[in-house]
Amino acid sequence: MTEPRRNIRQNHLALAQKILSVALDRGMTFGDHLPETTFSTACGVSRTPIRSAFKLLEERDILEWRSEEGYFLAIESAAELNATIRSLEETEHSVAHQILSDRAERRIGAVQSVSALSRRYKMPRASVLNALKVLSRDGLVRQLPGRAWAFQSMVDSPDAVEDSFDFRIVMEPQAVLAPDFVLDTKRASLLREQMSGFLNAGDTGVTPAGFGRIDIAFHTFVAECSGNRFLRASLSAHHRLRKASQKTASTPAFRLRQAMLEHLEILDSLERNQFQLAADQITVHLRRSRIRKPQAANRGIPPLAKGPRT
Amino acid sequence: MTRHAPEIAFFPEASFGAALNCVGIAQELQKQGAVPVFICHPGFTGVFAEYGFKEYHLPEGPADTAQTVEDYWQDFINTHVPHFNLDPTAQLPTYVAPTWKAIVETAIAAEDDLAQLLDQIRPDAIVLDNVIMFPAIANAGCPWIRIVSCTETEIPDPAVPPYLSGLAPDDADAITSFAKSYADVTAPIHRNYNSFRRKCGLPALPDRLFLEASPTLNLMLSPAPVRYQRDTPLPQDRFVFLEGCVRTENHYELPRFPVDDGPLVYVSFGSLGAVDTNLIQRMIDVFETIPARFLVNVGAVIEAYDRVPDNVNLGGWFPQPSVIAQAALMIHHGGNNSFCEALYYGVPSLVMPYCWDGHDNAQRAEAVGVGRRINRAAWSAQSLRADILSVLGDDAMRSRLAGISANMQRNPGTVRAASAILAAIAPAHTSSDGALKDHARPSPVGSP
Repeated sequence: MTEPRRNIRQNHLALAQKILSVALDRGMTFGDHLPETTFSTACGVSRTPIRSAFKLLEERDILEWRSEEGYFLAIESAAELNATIRSLEETEHSVAHQILSDRAERRIGAVQSVSALSRRYKMPRASVLNALKVLSRDGLVRQLPGRAWAFQSMVDSPDAVEDSFDFRIVMEPQAVLAPDFVLDTKRASLLREQMSGFLNAGDTGVTPAGFGRIDIAFHTFVAECSGNRFLRASLSAHHRLRKASQKTASTPAFRLRQAMLEHLEILDSLERNQFQLAADQITVHLRRSRIRKPQAANRGIPPLAKGPRT
Repeated sequence: MTRHAPEIAFFPEASFGAALNCVGIAQELQKQGAVPVFICHPGFTGVFAEYGFKEYHLPEGPADTAQTVEDYWQDFINTHVPHFNLDPTAQLPTYVAPTWKAIVETAIAAEDDLAQLLDQIRPDAIVLDNVIMFPAIANAGCPWIRIVSCTETEIPDPAVPPYLSGLAPDDADAITSFAKSYADVTAPIHRNYNSFRRKCGLPALPDRLFLEASPTLNLMLSPAPVRYQRDTPLPQDRFVFLEGCVRTENHYELPRFPVDDGPLVYVSFGSLGAVDTNLIQRMIDVFETIPARFLVNVGAVIEAYDRVPDNVNLGGWFPQPSVIAQAALMIHHGGNNSFCEALYYGVPSLVMPYCWDGHDNAQRAEAVGVGRRINRAAWSAQSLRADILSVLGDDAMRSRLAGISANMQRNPGTVRAASAILAAIAPAHTSSDGALKDHARPSPVGSP
């Protein structure tokens, strides 16, 4: 009975996270009402799990319950909301999350043993092993012969980000052009709502972290609609890797809004079955998004587009 | 009479300090109804567009392929990183002279393309944030405005120590000696530059100067508390002090640190300073022993680091103003933007300069009690730790900085700069026949 209960709680945590993302994207602030039906539609689930997730958020003082009125946001700022979403994410996958996060932050090396991780996190070996198995299901680590575990390459450096864009520019348009691309219209509509909410949020609501969440959800969604099983699988895995390891880029608000509009234009084309146009728009969107600041600059020297060799 | 939104062409040098300083002013000009555009050096493509500004690009030089630029940087690092540990006088022949030579060569190479771009844009005014004059700007037929985004020492005065010297104003013997060495090492480069100016129809500049004051408007970043007492005050109608110039950035969400308590210390030596990974690794080893959280800008070379301590977080780029606003201490190289941003948010500075005006700001930070200077070549783990803990615990310094910050935030430099630019060019972009007035009168050479 323990395991199913834990799964239910994790589902509620995931839903609570989603609810807060929707609230953030809509620019909701302290004291705003969260109608059950609105969030049920936005999250694509019935009202019962929404109620449970609301309850969970109330337990953490994130929402306030008012008798006969419902639930209200009890968090002051978008930054606080973002931090809360992040902390829920961490609760969801505690040990696995810590391991992955520490690797992405370069706190632990690329090859690890269960014993070393068990010592670092002061956790039983079984818990660490479970966490490694969770990560291995997503292809983030693999067991080497013997007792060592190796992390796979992550999107955690300027060169890796470049490689990621190279890969995506080749693959993402092909995922759309493959025969039998089928747009999940219900999910498309929910994503459109989130993206519009982001665009309509005030300046404080347009944050790189908020953009990053929708960006990965959108590109994952497009990949999952592809008719080619291998493109679907490889792109989905790559977006999971991005989500797990890529640092939030410090992109100015203007470009975040522009990129979100590009997402909506891609979605427009997909809804009209204009797949070639959508594929071209994806290419343009990715080419724009990959433009990076010079990696080093100094007076009298041409700016360096790539990192110096070390 | 015709009125139109004035188009202001910004031309910052190819460094982040100047580029982002101009972004702050351009953001405010846009709010005040002007149309800012940017002329970009190769490699800065997209830096201004992602803030929503139109860009015009100078073409890459024929030899500037990705590989040659990468090789150039590698040679630069191998040659100059050891020079960063030298004192300002020893840097004159080893670093300052080669850098001026390269700056002059860059200006000469850019001249024709810049003239063509300006002819295409036909702006109502040009804002130059650089350390050298490009004749195409003086000859463009519109007013030009100079931003002095290095320290105030860039504008000479007998009572102000020489530019790049890191000397105090009362250190007379050292000042005389440094000024002579500076003039000696830059003399051949200066002659070459003056010859280029004459060919382009501009008068020669006096020794040591590569950029004249603008006849229209000069904007200086230096906030009041760090300014020098000049023998000859700068004319107020053409020199405006901005009290710093801080751009608007997104709110920065702090990352989770496994050891998530203690004050936040932000560490950045700019994209150039980040290439010295050995030095930064030594510092990180010290940070691990201090009960604080450290955000460290490691630029493009994050892969050089492993085993990052639990109270340290590395990043390749930070929206600096938003980070400093949350910090209790900033450790930096004395770049003028970084120094002014720290003052703007009332954050003390530990300045470890390695070149150029970083030396001047390090001296000034210590002299006026808003920070301390660290000798890059002579610090130890113990001394760095002691300096960090001492500044973090210095209530008097924090209180002094709070007053400075309040004053700077009451008078934002970006607003003051935008208003001054629009006021200075008002007669130029409005005329009875729609034609622009000619403000390109000869500059008063050799004096402000």
